[in-house]
Amino acid sequence: MRAALLLPACLAAAVAGAEEDIGLMAPGAGAWETLAACTPCHSERIVIQQGLRRGQWEEVLDEMVEEHEMEPMEESPREVILDYLAEHYGPERPNFPRR
Amino acid sequence: MPRDSHETKGLYAWFAEHPDEARRQFFEPAPGLSRRGFFAGAGLAAAGGLLGMTIPFYANMPRGLVPAAFASEDVLVGKDGLTLLNDRPINAETPAHLLDDAITPTSRHFIRNNGLPPEDADADGWTLAVDGLVDNPATLTIADLRAQFEVVTMALTIECGGNGRAFFDPPARGNQWTVGAVGCSEWTGVRLADVLKKAGVKPGAVYTAHYGADTHLSGKEGKLPISRGVPIAKAMTGNALIAFAMNGGPLHRQNGAPLRLAVPGWPGSCSQKWLTRIRIRDRVHDGPKMTGKSYRVPGYPVAPGDKVPKEDFEIIERMPVKSLVTSPQNGGAAGRRVEVRGHAWSGDRTVSAVDLSIDFGRSWMAAELDGPVNPGAWQNWRRTIAFPEAGYYEVWARATDSAGEMQPFAIDWNPKGYLNNTMHRVALRVA
Repeated sequence: MRAALLLPACLAAAVAGAEEDIGLMAPGAGAWETLAACTPCHSERIVIQQGLRRGQWEEVLDEMVEEHEMEPMEESPREVILDYLAEHYGPERPNFPRR
Repeated sequence: MPRDSHETKGLYAWFAEHPDEARRQFFEPAPGLSRRGFFAGAGLAAAGGLLGMTIPFYANMPRGLVPAAFASEDVLVGKDGLTLLNDRPINAETPAHLLDDAITPTSRHFIRNNGLPPEDADADGWTLAVDGLVDNPATLTIADLRAQFEVVTMALTIECGGNGRAFFDPPARGNQWTVGAVGCSEWTGVRLADVLKKAGVKPGAVYTAHYGADTHLSGKEGKLPISRGVPIAKAMTGNALIAFAMNGGPLHRQNGAPLRLAVPGWPGSCSQKWLTRIRIRDRVHDGPKMTGKSYRVPGYPVAPGDKVPKEDFEIIERMPVKSLVTSPQNGGAAGRRVEVRGHAWSGDRTVSAVDLSIDFGRSWMAAELDGPVNPGAWQNWRRTIAFPEAGYYEVWARATDSAGEMQPFAIDWNPKGYLNNTMHRVALRVA
């Protein structure tokens, strides 16, 4: 039922175009770019569970390119995404999903 | 504002009634668009058409977002009360109190997927190839397996290697399983050992290599999401099954229907789902998730947060001794007398004792412990505890196995967050 409660609002935002749709990502600069880069293959649910340092996030992105068919990114979205992930999904886990 | 009702319900209903078509419309790339296109989203146009509404900004929506979220309603069909960790690929664990049954019902067995299950999982026509370093390579249907080998039913404990990862500090990468990526269902099938004996394993065989019909998340043709194996000696034990039934019924689609391995006591990834091929190799298998740091831990103790060179990682084999309190529920309220119960297991071993503490480990009392119903099954235990006075308690459970190994209090930290067998603690408010 959680998704049922969550979705109408999230969908409404997309439909109305009132704000960028960032799915389940924490709001912040780079949220949309991160969602767009990650979710063609997998859900953002695996992203928001993590608590990694910036260097570890770099390793994750490298591995996605080297082993999982992700297309290499230009520096500009890559840095934005790494900054976003390090800030919002670092070891302190400020946005760890409540269960 | 199209905030509520018809549009949202319409989309919901569409996904509920036509999940495959809905997903296809959302996921499949429009002609000329790379699946990996950074801003792709044209498939949503079709969705808009079907909905009888427009989605003005659909081009801004990453492909997969809406269906992934909607799919979370749909993906756990046939499951009851599981916590969804990820919906693409699907990963879901069972809260401890819902694992109370001696034999885990199909509806409460956890799901750990690496890729996407095959669209066609029809048991008729499904084949299993047995090849590699064998005298008699064969391709067998499920009917062939039933006809040529003894069919057995066994309760087998399958636990994800990363069960308990959520408690690692610093955090370890991967699905953040708490305690519920474990189950012990009744699996019906034929012994892997019998099939390999008939195939005739040649001298020099070292490892099995397992292949399944699930597909890689990238959609790349022929790319395997996971292919692991076990040493020949493990494959030849009598309780590793090629299973075609679960708890007397069909396998759940997310648990590998129509055919899978059930290899108890080792990381669940050894129990390949949607099984299509077993290849015998003259070396340790090197398929995806066999190498690097996957399902491996450092060969020596490390400090939390240490970086460990890749070559120092060793393949996980048996899972360590562990127990779970399935009643009472964590955080629950109770009277002064409470039956505490749960399960305990230890890979390739039996559990010889389960002890309980209600005073933060100062004193311990033995639980009544059943033997396993067959090798590879978890063991059930229970004890009625009389609490001395009202107040807040924690019930701790600690299993000791047949080799004398005991569950630790603190996590033996490792970079990938495997093998957390620390004691399970359950909070209880006694009135």
